[in-house]
Amino acid sequence: MNFHFQQAIRAVILFAFSAMIFNLHQTGEITKLINPKYENLSKTVAILFFILFVVQLTRIFSFSTKDHHHCHHTGHHCCHHDHGNSPFNTKKLFSYLILIIPLATGFFIPAKTLDASIAEKKGGMMILSKQTQAAETEDFTEAAIPNQSAGDDLYGDHAPDPNLMEERQEIPEEEYDHLKKELSQKQTIHMTNHIYTIYYDDINSNASKYKGKKIQLTGFVLKEKGFKQNQLVLSRFLITHCIADSSIIGFLSELPEAQNIDEDTWIEATGTIDISTYNGEQLPIIKIANWKKIEEPKKPYIYPIDIRVGL
Amino acid sequence: MSTFLQLNTIFISIIIEALPFVLIGVFISGFIQMFVTEQMIAKVVPKNRVLGVLYGTVIGALFPACECGIIPIVHRLLKKGVPLHVAIPFMLTGPIINPIVLFSTFIAFGNSWQMVWYRGGLALLIAFVIGLILSFQYKDTQLLDEDEHDHHHEHAQTLWQKFMGTLNHAVEEFFSVGKYLIIGAFIAASMQIFVKTSVLMELGQTKATSSLVMMALAFILSLCSEADAFIAASFRGTFSTSALVAFLLIGPMVDIKNLLMMLQTFKKKFIAVLILYIIIFVFISSMLV
Repeated sequence: MNFHFQQAIRAVILFAFSAMIFNLHQTGEITKLINPKYENLSKTVAILFFILFVVQLTRIFSFSTKDHHHCHHTGHHCCHHDHGNSPFNTKKLFSYLILIIPLATGFFIPAKTLDASIAEKKGGMMILSKQTQAAETEDFTEAAIPNQSAGDDLYGDHAPDPNLMEERQEIPEEEYDHLKKELSQKQTIHMTNHIYTIYYDDINSNASKYKGKKIQLTGFVLKEKGFKQNQLVLSRFLITHCIADSSIIGFLSELPEAQNIDEDTWIEATGTIDISTYNGEQLPIIKIANWKKIEEPKKPYIYPIDIRVGL
Repeated sequence: MSTFLQLNTIFISIIIEALPFVLIGVFISGFIQMFVTEQMIAKVVPKNRVLGVLYGTVIGALFPACECGIIPIVHRLLKKGVPLHVAIPFMLTGPIINPIVLFSTFIAFGNSWQMVWYRGGLALLIAFVIGLILSFQYKDTQLLDEDEHDHHHEHAQTLWQKFMGTLNHAVEEFFSVGKYLIIGAFIAASMQIFVKTSVLMELGQTKATSSLVMMALAFILSLCSEADAFIAASFRGTFSTSALVAFLLIGPMVDIKNLLMMLQTFKKKFIAVLILYIIIFVFISSMLV
């Protein structure tokens, strides 16, 4: 009976990938890495790695002296990817080490929530002020044709319970229209995680409609060069798939104490929507009336809601 | 320290995001290895040059592949005798024209078909032209291991043996491409941490330079083609449609992640030529938008 050292290493690595992914799900760290919509896909990966691990186990020991049945015809090495039976050397050691790095850091180093320094790299306020512009030009057709037809009396007085909606990542188109319509009638807008993007788009595209309304929201503080002393951005990260594709969203806000609040502080605030200009771009801003510091929320990220459209 | 933690988080997140698609890729590769014979491929793929290129260009619509998962598949197809001018167009369009990616593009741009047409249509055109050029330029596979023929697996007899062979092959393929995925993910994560988007934006003042800047950004960010439309959409106010089209076209064809995986598979000179073609044609198409 022969023991194959490299096959054993491979088995261990396959098992470790499976274990690392399971561990990320178990500890909940996975929500800091990918959009929960893709959680099941990632769990499937963990299972597949486990299956590959089991398959790999059968190759650690071999009973015959014939090493590998399919390398017998000619002299040259027949497959370019090696089957893990050729001699172990430093090059191999190096490539196994590369595979071990993400396993080690994934296991032992906690995931960190993206912060203001990343927001700045992503373009920060420059991107935010342009978002308003984009929203205005893109959505103008929607504004021109009042969206009365679909969701008008669908829910009547029984609007969907927000608690039920919290976990969903997909809503039908009628419900989306309904939410938007509801938004324009509300006196106080509460920016909870799941409707954040819907409300955010609409406020940015029709700022004048919302001027003077009360708004309640949470976010982390972002500041930039060129801000006035009373200015800061209450920002969030929008995650589509994984945090590598995060983009920055949020509102420029004004409050007297702004200069005393550090970047990356999470705050919960209420204020009034107003319209102002930043670097020549018109955009909605929030005049904050009340605010308090809070702990970083358990779910720091915003995920876009998919709208199910009848195609 | 905080920078390092964020770098690590983005690094791990790219790997977690890419693994499902890489695994699909290595499983399909293993499956082709064990179940698809050279005779079958000879029957399916058109002999005619133009039809062959066309076939490779559109067949990707059926595969939910991403730009890193498709490399092991293309490698295996070439080894099984698929001509280069059929395999490469498949590699270029596969990550773009499949339903999942097109639908996410539709959603990201506010339920609009315009970007979907630009993206899908121009990708087909670019891949077709590149395929045609390659068909005149190269006669061999351009693989690093082109001399090594692997018909040795064909004598795995029973279905069970073939099934186990598929899994074993998947493991081997994973260990051969996995390290490149990891290095690519690390470089892409570092770029995100250290490169300021605003610096790039200031470079992109004219139509031509803004397209080039967005192409560079797509290469650097190495986003999965399912998610890149949302990032492109977030640049709507900053860049013109033509620059966004360039971003959406080149990202799935070549980025840091899949470049490293290509280096494991193809000859360096061929990769350089291919990337040059991609850059030229993506740039020209974006200028036409």
